Amino acid sequence: MRRKHSFVYNLVIFILAQLVWLSILLLWIYWYVKNNIIFEQVGEKASPQIVYDAPSVFPFVGGIVLLTGLSVSLVLIFRHLNIQLKLNELYDNFIANVTHELKSPLSSIQLYLETLNTRNVPEEKKKEFYGLMMRDSERLKKLVNSILEIAMMDKKKFNREFEVYKADETIKKIILESAEQFNLDPNIIKFSGDAGCDIMLDRNSIKTVFDNLVDNSIKYSVAPLEIMVKFKRSTKKTEIEFSDNGIGIPHDQIKKIFQKFHRIYDKDIPNVKGTGLGLYVVREIIKNHKGKVFAFSEGKGKGAKFKIELPIYTEKKKSLRGNKKDFKNE
Amino acid sequence: MSDEQLEKSKILLVEDEENLAHGLEYNLSEEGYLVTIARDGKEALKYFDENDFDLIVLDIMLPYFNGFEIAKHVREKHPQMPILMLTARTQVEDRVKGLELGADDYLTKPFHLKELLLRIKGMLKRKNWYQKVVIENPIYIFGNNEINFENLKCSKDKNEFQLTSYEAMIMKYLIENKDKVVTRKELLENVWNMNPDIETRTVDNFIARLRKHFEDDPSNPKFIVSVRSAGYMFQIQD
Repeated sequence: MRRKHSFVYNLVIFILAQLVWLSILLLWIYWYVKNNIIFEQVGEKASPQIVYDAPSVFPFVGGIVLLTGLSVSLVLIFRHLNIQLKLNELYDNFIANVTHELKSPLSSIQLYLETLNTRNVPEEKKKEFYGLMMRDSERLKKLVNSILEIAMMDKKKFNREFEVYKADETIKKIILESAEQFNLDPNIIKFSGDAGCDIMLDRNSIKTVFDNLVDNSIKYSVAPLEIMVKFKRSTKKTEIEFSDNGIGIPHDQIKKIFQKFHRIYDKDIPNVKGTGLGLYVVREIIKNHKGKVFAFSEGKGKGAKFKIELPIYTEKKKSLRGNKKDFKNE
Repeated sequence: MSDEQLEKSKILLVEDEENLAHGLEYNLSEEGYLVTIARDGKEALKYFDENDFDLIVLDIMLPYFNGFEIAKHVREKHPQMPILMLTARTQVEDRVKGLELGADDYLTKPFHLKELLLRIKGMLKRKNWYQKVVIENPIYIFGNNEINFENLKCSKDKNEFQLTSYEAMIMKYLIENKDKVVTRKELLENVWNMNPDIETRTVDNFIARLRKHFEDDPSNPKFIVSVRSAGYMFQIQD
């Protein structure tokens, strides 16, 4: 409500400012033309011999240029304000989502602790509760880390350990580790293709990339989940296609999903939890690896596909950080 | 009503956080309640339509249908069903929206287990008390207003509207204590079964809503009058 009002308020101010500007411009022209005529008439009557010198065109043109500059500045300020409003809205959503994401595992931990403290819980159940609390604290840790990571990314401070790896072997291993972390059956992931090359990467951050992609696939699937990973290579880059059979991405959202804090709100989406940071982190990490990431989807209900392009490491190439690191074979 | 009689009460627990739902189910079952868990909005509506429950514990952020939509659906079908909203949201607007759509109580995460169990017990007790007193006297008429305490349908002049279960309970309590001063503390203790040190504004919010329903001029009430630094009183002026 408040945001809608502030948008309308800005729009009204903008229109009023434009009207003021236009009026000044018209007055300016009117003043110039009128004065010009008076000068001409008075000059002719008083002394026709005197060579009439019209008011200089310079202040007139200069005035118009200044007024136009003012108008352009107003347009820019208006645009900037609207962007800021949009960001504020996204940020508010982010805060609400983060609050939810922090409070849910925290409530669960508190509930189990109070249960253990007040009830006679059988040993077997106790073990189960400890396990659930561990999962919740892991979830909290992951969330806190991702928020800290974002803060570092925004400041362009990266703490990366770049090393050379065999592309398909390493990526495959990382994806299987992510699957294990989310208790996914590894058989639902089908690998195909062959990259047959080396890439230089920071293993921890690439793990975060695939953790986020796998997590999204789980969140946004209704049928039994299937994940397909396809490796390809061209002369300079290797391609990793990560696709699933989930609910897909609406066409109008494809470009927006990598934006910070952006989340899709849709009635048919089976999961409403998240911070809107996952894919932003993915894009930033891949960018930091001098790569690119693209999203594709044939529409709602038709699965999502993410194509990641990473540069191939060759012996000639210097490391991304300037120091060549050891070759890692996993 | 004894605690034993409250046992076997059927509770629909709508919570999509698996760990939390599991812990709540364990604790509610330990108290003797029969718990059904719904993991999303669709399931919640399905279970509610197909079964009889005594109380609903409802999360707000849910897949498919959110807690507000579910509360609305429940109220339309079963005006007296006690609903306890359980949510991570703390904004006042959410609280107001929840109460307006018919939630009877609101607990924010993280909550204390003891408090949750006490509130559930209180809500079930009140539901039983209310059902008992209503059988004796289901319809009450005052001024141009008529309240049916059974189906919570009301009319003022020719306008018909529906009360929420808490609104009805407060009205019933005030009417039962006609011409007597009812303190906020008393209302909190007897209608909400809550610690009166907190949440006194909740009472004022409900009273304001009742005045909107039944008074010709809510800012100058004739039936539900304020008694300075004491509380409220229900009276019928001649």
